[in-house]
Amino acid sequence: MATGSPGTLVRDLQGALGAAHVLHLPEDLIVYEYDATIERALPDVVVFPATTAEVAACVRIALDHDVPVVPRGSGTGLSGGAVPVRGGVLVVLTRMNRILEVDATDRVAVVQPGVINLALQEAAAPLGLTYAPDPSSQRVCTIGGNIANNSGGPHTLAHGSTVNHVLALEVVLPDARVVRLGSRVPDAPGVDLRGLLVGSEGTLGIVTEATLRLVRQQPAVRTLLAIFESVEDASNAVSETIRRGVIPVAMEMLDQEIIRIVEPRIRAGYPMDAGAALLIEVEGVAEGVALDAAVVEAACHAAGAREVRSAEEASERERLWEGRKAAIGAIGAAAPAFYLLDGVVPRTKLPEVMAQVMELSRAAGFRCANVFHAGDGNLHPNIMFDPAEPRATERVLELGEAIMRVCVDAGGAITGEHGVGLEKRSYMEWVFTPADLAAQHAVRDAFGSTDRFNPCKVLPGGHGCASGHMKEISPHLVEGAYV
Amino acid sequence: MTAGPDRPDATAGLAALRRTLPADTERAAHAYAIEDLEPRIAFAPDDRAEVAVLLRTAAEHALTVVPQASRTALALGAPLEAYDVALDLRGLHRTMEYVPDDLTVTVEAGKPLRDLQQELAEHGQYLSVDPPPDDQVSVGGLLATARGGAWRGHLPSARDLVLGIEVAQPSGALVKSGGRVVKNVTGYDLHRLHTGALGAFGVILDATFKVAPLPVATRTLAAAATSISEAASVARRAWDASLSTRAITILAPEPAGHVGLPSAPTVLVELAGSEAAVDRSTRDLAAFASWSDGPAQGWAYLRRLHGDQAGTVLRIGAPPSSIATMLEAARAAGALAWGHLAAGCVIAYADGMEAHAITALRQAAERARGYLQVEAAPVPIRRQVAPGGPGDPALVAALRDQFDPSRILNRGRWPEEGRP
Repeated sequence: MATGSPGTLVRDLQGALGAAHVLHLPEDLIVYEYDATIERALPDVVVFPATTAEVAACVRIALDHDVPVVPRGSGTGLSGGAVPVRGGVLVVLTRMNRILEVDATDRVAVVQPGVINLALQEAAAPLGLTYAPDPSSQRVCTIGGNIANNSGGPHTLAHGSTVNHVLALEVVLPDARVVRLGSRVPDAPGVDLRGLLVGSEGTLGIVTEATLRLVRQQPAVRTLLAIFESVEDASNAVSETIRRGVIPVAMEMLDQEIIRIVEPRIRAGYPMDAGAALLIEVEGVAEGVALDAAVVEAACHAAGAREVRSAEEASERERLWEGRKAAIGAIGAAAPAFYLLDGVVPRTKLPEVMAQVMELSRAAGFRCANVFHAGDGNLHPNIMFDPAEPRATERVLELGEAIMRVCVDAGGAITGEHGVGLEKRSYMEWVFTPADLAAQHAVRDAFGSTDRFNPCKVLPGGHGCASGHMKEISPHLVEGAYV
Repeated sequence: MTAGPDRPDATAGLAALRRTLPADTERAAHAYAIEDLEPRIAFAPDDRAEVAVLLRTAAEHALTVVPQASRTALALGAPLEAYDVALDLRGLHRTMEYVPDDLTVTVEAGKPLRDLQQELAEHGQYLSVDPPPDDQVSVGGLLATARGGAWRGHLPSARDLVLGIEVAQPSGALVKSGGRVVKNVTGYDLHRLHTGALGAFGVILDATFKVAPLPVATRTLAAAATSISEAASVARRAWDASLSTRAITILAPEPAGHVGLPSAPTVLVELAGSEAAVDRSTRDLAAFASWSDGPAQGWAYLRRLHGDQAGTVLRIGAPPSSIATMLEAARAAGALAWGHLAAGCVIAYADGMEAHAITALRQAAERARGYLQVEAAPVPIRRQVAPGGPGDPALVAALRDQFDPSRILNRGRWPEEGRP
């Protein structure tokens, strides 16, 4: 797409960053043509800036050469957000990986975007604090990527998504200007540009520093594992718990298919004949936790649980979580390929929606394993398939689309935590009117980013972007996809 | 007031509004004065299509519009520069959808929080916000101002609770963002952009919120201290103990006296949760201070004072480490002052304060990496001191250019660059 000569673009970037931090040979670029999904596309050049000023310089140079800019962290995204579909400069932020400050008094951390999520949790833990958002990819994914996607995780139910934990951002805008949005003090007054930037999937700016809220570790935590005959019973237990006035910090569902895949490999102790399992966690002051756990247990039994186990010791709790954490990896081992979906519905609609998901999968002839954030109504069907079979990929995509339709028809949304990216651009029209989408385009225009920052992402249409959804995605799997 | 010699002729615009809106939605304009301005015309539509038509018609005729409902935050932001049309949204007060088991509710913007809380309470739930001055604040006003009280920092704030909204834009377009589910990353979060924007980009028509179970038990406790710094350290220990707190507030001696406590530096704590959790928290608190049952109505008093539009009210953002210092500074400036520890927020109330004193406090707050927002002050003061908190004026202006290019909404509230 470069209008100037690629040679000059590379030379200018090398001048700004040093030749060691600029990749431009085809054999080097090929590593950066995909993320944890779908489409592949080669960038013209990959840069590794180390400072905000270097990021701004790269953006300025890309602007001068009229080529797009695409930011990237660890590349664990599940919607194609980091795929440079129109080429240009891929800005990889993994060198900006310093934790600049962890302040226990103000309960904030200041980090660069390339810091790994788990590294921040580990830095905060000795101070009795934690960074709450915990996407399952947290050993690998970066804070910058979490901010771009407004990532969730199992504990979103009580603690909220990434946006609820970002206090302030330093951002390089599409015109190369550097701005600071938000405040070290929570919930700053005024136009919330911080809140707009979080979840904008690298289309409005590149985050170069983030001030994050840390929360105190709770004095008591209890994890429960409830075994049910069916997903429907387990879903009812979720609503029953909430109806009784308790909101656990996590309510994770595993269906029969996933239990049968996970248990032989992990030996987490899930009964092989279980219809579904719910992993539930409550935390707070000790007496409150005991009470809440009793309420959860009663709610599960009322919904037909055949067994409820409870663990308070860290090691025991860890074991109960093991099956959940290993689930996606186990699917990877059990099938040649799988397509991980992300949809969200009101939690009271879970029983009927799950029934439809299973029926659609059966009708399409695919196995579908479900492991998901039931408390949030956030589904993650995993459709298993063999790409070598005729038309398999196409049929899987059709099924995925049908499942997304079910979510939307149930009053839900097309993504709860993985982002729209490239994958779901065309589904945006299912949930938004042309006027709604025009307003979102207007935001992009206000930031001057329409063709510059991560083009062809989030919003349908766009100059030079392919339009057909099916042609844009051709999933291949993906060992280690994350939920 | 108002209709000075330089106020342009609006006859055609007013006639157009009267033509397009039902006659029974027009109200007496004089009832809608704001500070020294009185509108030329007022409407109280009761459906969203009428709001859209009003905005489009006003935009076509370059008439400025001030949306409002409970009128509890009229002194927030810079003084209005023009005010042609009052848009009274109290007619939009329906609850559109409430599913208790989903913990979500969708309500129209003109509904007072009090009515919403009543409906939610019938199902043992509530919206966990305590904005100034009290629950007469409308749902739209809650979002447009994004203000809260002592619960902020302990419970999610309005910004955290809003799941989606619908707005009417000056173009007449009805635009929604987000949705009705509790976890959603579908598209840009325009609802966050509108939250706290004082109506800069559109008129909020409805909003969907995440609600919470009402706590079974609440208890207010007070502990007196010999100094503000001692009070601050007691508050700090209470916060670090991770108890079932819904509020931890440090009162200077003056406001302590006003809520019926001895006039001493005081920590006021509200516990909320199950009986067991509240009892346990009460016992744990006793380990490091002597507590007495506090005046539960003290919270309402602080909210009212914070929301007093006739006084001078400052919201000073200060990281928890600087709360005591900023509280002392506000007190030294002659204000009644109290600080919400977890929210990093000192509220300073005075009958009046000179502009230079406000500026000095702002500089001190910014040195502490906080901010200062003027929540209320007389018009001349708000002309001398920019009332807003942190922000990027160029981006705000660019967004305004997209959504309200002729600046018909709340003109003047946001002093920005690049205004036509």
